[in-house]
Amino acid sequence: MTWSIAAPAVTAAFLASIVEVVEAFTIVLAVATLRGWRPAAWGTTAGLALLAAIVLMLGPLLDRAPIHSLQLAIGILLLLFGMGWLRKASLRAAGIIPLHDEDAIFKTETTQLDQQTRRRQKNLQWVAGVTALKAVLLEGLEVVFIVIAVGAGRGLLMPAGLGALAACALVLTIGAVVHRPLSRVPENTLKFGVSVMLSAFGVFWTGEGLGIAWPGQDLALLLFVVLFLVAGLVGASLARRSRMEFAL
Amino acid sequence: MTMLKDVVAELIGMFVAEKWLTIAVLGVVAAAGCLVNFTDLDPLVGGAVVLVGCLILLIESVWRSARADAA
Repeated sequence: MTWSIAAPAVTAAFLASIVEVVEAFTIVLAVATLRGWRPAAWGTTAGLALLAAIVLMLGPLLDRAPIHSLQLAIGILLLLFGMGWLRKASLRAAGIIPLHDEDAIFKTETTQLDQQTRRRQKNLQWVAGVTALKAVLLEGLEVVFIVIAVGAGRGLLMPAGLGALAACALVLTIGAVVHRPLSRVPENTLKFGVSVMLSAFGVFWTGEGLGIAWPGQDLALLLFVVLFLVAGLVGASLARRSRMEFAL
Repeated sequence: MTMLKDVVAELIGMFVAEKWLTIAVLGVVAAAGCLVNFTDLDPLVGGAVVLVGCLILLIESVWRSARADAA
């Protein structure tokens, strides 16, 4: 394990997990505010158990896959996922699509949950618990993918997983203290940074999967990070300019 | 059942942020794979195709979305 590849892997898993856990936390908090901590807690626990089951099922399969095929498959998926995030982050940075607003999401979730519970007078706790479960499961799927994607190609699953767990612990601790949506977390900046890293990993693994020996080996990853960062910023700048041209 | 649908939709949404970007990225990787496996060129040419192709596709996709939004 070299630091040139372990550090970006752990950092990407940590930062991506912060973004996803903050989003899940907002919905779990909405559930807890409206229906109490019991359904929020069981929904969260069930969601985490499902995610753990997915990881336990995928782990042995990944171990059996030939390394080049695994790197190629993960590389392509990382390119699609990372570039999708980077495209959105660039559009958000340019003001084309609105920034993620945790306070607004909290209000929407609370209203929706309230309406749902009014429609079904029975099983209110159940509806609330399932809402929390869905939030944890859907946001957690992205965390699981990122941890596997940045970790599986070079035996870095454990450090990447620890990075994700550290992010969970950090967000939950801060969330428990402030007890409101974590709207001051700079989500778009984090997403921009993480998507740059994921896209860079995508090119790196895809190349390795195709049998390409990158010059400088793992250090090539750092060059890819810089190039994707520049491409994201250029994209945002062009988008901003084209928006202003149309506005004139 | 709704939950399963949501999970499937989430998984698809994770990798298909924009249809044309997804198709184009897959095309670039396929082209690079052909260059590496079926020609005598240095494999690094395939690597350069993936890298430069993805960078161009990203900028083009952001720019195109911005123009479509503004129009």
